[in-house]
Amino acid sequence: MDNVIECHNLTHYYGNKLVFENLNFRIKEGSILGLLGKNGTGKTTVFNILNGFLHPTKGQCFIWGEDSQYLSDMSKLRIGFLIEGHIQYAFMNIQQIERFYRGFYPRWKSASFWELISKLDISPRQRISTMSCGQRSQVALGLILAQDPDLLILDDFSMGLDPGYRRLFVDYLREYAKSENKTIFTTSHIIQDMERLIDDVLIIGSNNVLVQSTLNEFLDNFNRFDFELEESKTELKKDAILVNIERVKNKVELYTFSSENEIYKYLADKNVSVKNFKRVSMALEDAFIGLTGKY
Amino acid sequence: MEKISRYSLVFITVIVLSIGLPKLFWIFFEKPVKKPFIQYSCVNHDFLIYRSNEKIWEDTKGNQYSRDEYEQKLPLFFFKQLYISGTLPDSINHVPIDLKELAREKSFFHLRQGEIDAPVPDLFPLFESRSGRAMLEWPEDFFRITWRIEFIDAASNKILEEKSQMFSASLYHNGFVFPAKLISGITSQKKSCDEGYFIVDSKNQLFHLKMVIGKPYIRKIEIPYGLIIRHISCVDFKNKAFYAYLLSDKNEIYILSQNEYKLVKWPIEGYDSATSDLKIYGDMLNYTIVIEGYNYLKVIALDKKYQFIDSYSEKWDVKEDLKYGKIFASIFPAQVSMTSENSKYVRFYFSISRGFNWFLLNLALLAIHFALLYWRKKQLRNHFIDLGIIAICGIYGFLAIHFFRNKFYE
Amino acid sequence: MWRSVFYKEWLKIRWFILLYALVGFVVIVYIYLKLKHSFMFLGAKNVWGAILFQSIVYFKVFRFIPLIGGTIIAFTQYLPEVLNKRIKLSFHLPLNENKILLLMQAFGALSLFISFLVFLILFGIIGLYFLPEQIVLDSLITIFPWILAGFSSYFIVSFVVLEPMWIYRFFYFLNGAFFISIHFASIITASYRPIILSLTLMSILLSSALLFSGYRFRKGESWYGKN
Repeated sequence: MDNVIECHNLTHYYGNKLVFENLNFRIKEGSILGLLGKNGTGKTTVFNILNGFLHPTKGQCFIWGEDSQYLSDMSKLRIGFLIEGHIQYAFMNIQQIERFYRGFYPRWKSASFWELISKLDISPRQRISTMSCGQRSQVALGLILAQDPDLLILDDFSMGLDPGYRRLFVDYLREYAKSENKTIFTTSHIIQDMERLIDDVLIIGSNNVLVQSTLNEFLDNFNRFDFELEESKTELKKDAILVNIERVKNKVELYTFSSENEIYKYLADKNVSVKNFKRVSMALEDAFIGLTGKY
Repeated sequence: MEKISRYSLVFITVIVLSIGLPKLFWIFFEKPVKKPFIQYSCVNHDFLIYRSNEKIWEDTKGNQYSRDEYEQKLPLFFFKQLYISGTLPDSINHVPIDLKELAREKSFFHLRQGEIDAPVPDLFPLFESRSGRAMLEWPEDFFRITWRIEFIDAASNKILEEKSQMFSASLYHNGFVFPAKLISGITSQKKSCDEGYFIVDSKNQLFHLKMVIGKPYIRKIEIPYGLIIRHISCVDFKNKAFYAYLLSDKNEIYILSQNEYKLVKWPIEGYDSATSDLKIYGDMLNYTIVIEGYNYLKVIALDKKYQFIDSYSEKWDVKEDLKYGKIFASIFPAQVSMTSENSKYVRFYFSISRGFNWFLLNLALLAIHFALLYWRKKQLRNHFIDLGIIAICGIYGFLAIHFFRNKFYE
Repeated sequence: MWRSVFYKEWLKIRWFILLYALVGFVVIVYIYLKLKHSFMFLGAKNVWGAILFQSIVYFKVFRFIPLIGGTIIAFTQYLPEVLNKRIKLSFHLPLNENKILLLMQAFGALSLFISFLVFLILFGIIGLYFLPEQIVLDSLITIFPWILAGFSSYFIVSFVVLEPMWIYRFFYFLNGAFFISIHFASIITASYRPIILSLTLMSILLSSALLFSGYRFRKGESWYGKN
């Protein structure tokens, strides 16, 4: 399968402040990639670069082989774009906005749009500015579905949505993407939503990539072990194996990509004696926090 | 495309700055320059100068006078003051003084430098010059001269066909070649009597047009061969010596005498209507002609027969010569203003600064910009036009270019 | 596609441009009602005389009408675009970004052009009823720089609104305001005749200004870098 998006050595500074350095990632056709990162790690920056709203300090992104800074009209035709917060033309009503976008996309599917809208309790002449966040998200989603793009770029789709709408949005999207072989690149600050949606995960830290793999691989390989230290004076430091340590007095939560046996051996080598050692299973959110830390 | 956009903005900004910055500079630093007031004294047979700044009254040889002495040496100019003070002489140069005559002969005429190059109306009221009324009455219609003369009734905004035909025919029979190049008259009721209009036709012939009891009075006036009249200022002086001052295309000044329309050229040199004011003071014995330029003054005295008596000129330092003027000239390469003393039209009046000090600043700014480019590791080839703009437009270009940053990605 | 762009712009400005056209219409009618009133009270000949020889500009109230129009239309077109950075939606359409901006400008300028044309025709036709063509023609020449100020203010305000950085916005605004002021340097009838052409050319140059701030927006130009 071909890569839809490829970013090479992406580096960006705001003034003298480094946001990320040598970011490399790719998205395969038909897959759903979630970009995770704490606030300030540059998620929005990546989205802006990808959409041509920001020129990176170094490096390049390609979408279908075209530099994302100079996308051709043909490529833009095939990309659906959801702005953070489901921003749309608030001064239009639903009929007007449908009519507006229809003029740009030859593959426009009015039926999909109206099908989604009909589920909402709104009149076609209602202005978007008077709608609730949930309703607006449906309109934005409806527009993207009607556009029938091959690549969907969704910037924080869960912003402002209540749980029901989020669930609806995610399930609808995943089913749509899988049945039509669409590629999705997305981010959300609500990680439970991501877990239901994505195939692959890309986690960026303060200025580098922490993980890029499939979601299942990540959840399988990234482990949490809880135990108590026999001696309170024992010190544990982060290193290549101990990815993160959360410690309260003698109680330790250890996050690692290593297996249980490897950790036993590691602790034994360091003469650390522990009790109540157990593996704790994690959802994506726990794993994300475990990987990036609480602060 | 974005580059075209940027250079358009830079261009507009250079113009804006070259209008705005000099203006701002002079608001801060300009000091008023008071011009001397100079008159010809029939008593001293010399010019008397009043410098209002220093409160000095003197003659051309440097003798200083008190204010009273000064006024007494210009009895024809200050006769009212002298009369009140009781110091008006009985006769001057053996000519007995008569207050009425003094008042009748006193005249003042002022042609401002911007007055000729100005938008002019092309509709005029033709007064009835012999209405039999004490006061002139504003006519109900206005005339224009196109392929004929047309009178338009103001109330109905319709052409008065009969009157138009009558006047057109009369003009035509007098040899007038339509249309008119120049129409001049006093378009006000506040004049002692109506003398109608003086009109230059398309063949540079001069005509006098009046309306007398509803009928046209047209007179073709003989003018010297080759004379091209550029401007006519009609006057309404009490002594009725002449109808108008005429200005030729060579800046010669003529008067059009009320005696048989005789045209007399005055012996005045050094007048340029574009750059100087013309003031003519007439009195019982002399005419004092003051040509007032930006930084100079020339005064010429004529006698009553328009013969040259004497002349005097003076120059003074203007803002460009003073300290701030020199600072100005080393910062700003040029100045643009929308309005000018020399015209009532709005144009981009462009004046290059004196000397070449500003060019040094241009070079310095060029070097600074060059250094900035080097320091920021920019590729020079993207900045050639910018550098050129700085070289030519100096500080304006430098500011404009940094205002609209040349930040394009390849 | 240009139809869709025009459609969007029309939705934004329709009430404003209609209201503006109405205001302009009322102002022109007012000018001539007032003139008619003066004709009645002072006599037509005296009013003509005052217009011709005392430089009375009887339509002075129209002075800033085009300027106000240009500013209003620019704001109504571009404020919704910069709020929440909605312009990103437009840039994402399958049409070259500059083309979209130019289409947006073209629509605004066209709307203004039509309004101004209607104003001028109305002004001229009613004018010819009361006044001779010389006066009407001179009046139109006097109005022309004001009309250009309307177009220029439209181009400048749209470009300033779209500029992403506040500090630059401020300087660009000052710069633009000064440029606009040169259209009002003299109230003498027909005194702008010699530079009408140069001012028109400058207005045309300014019509490309939006591309510059559009480019700065697209390339993520900002003080702190957050876009």
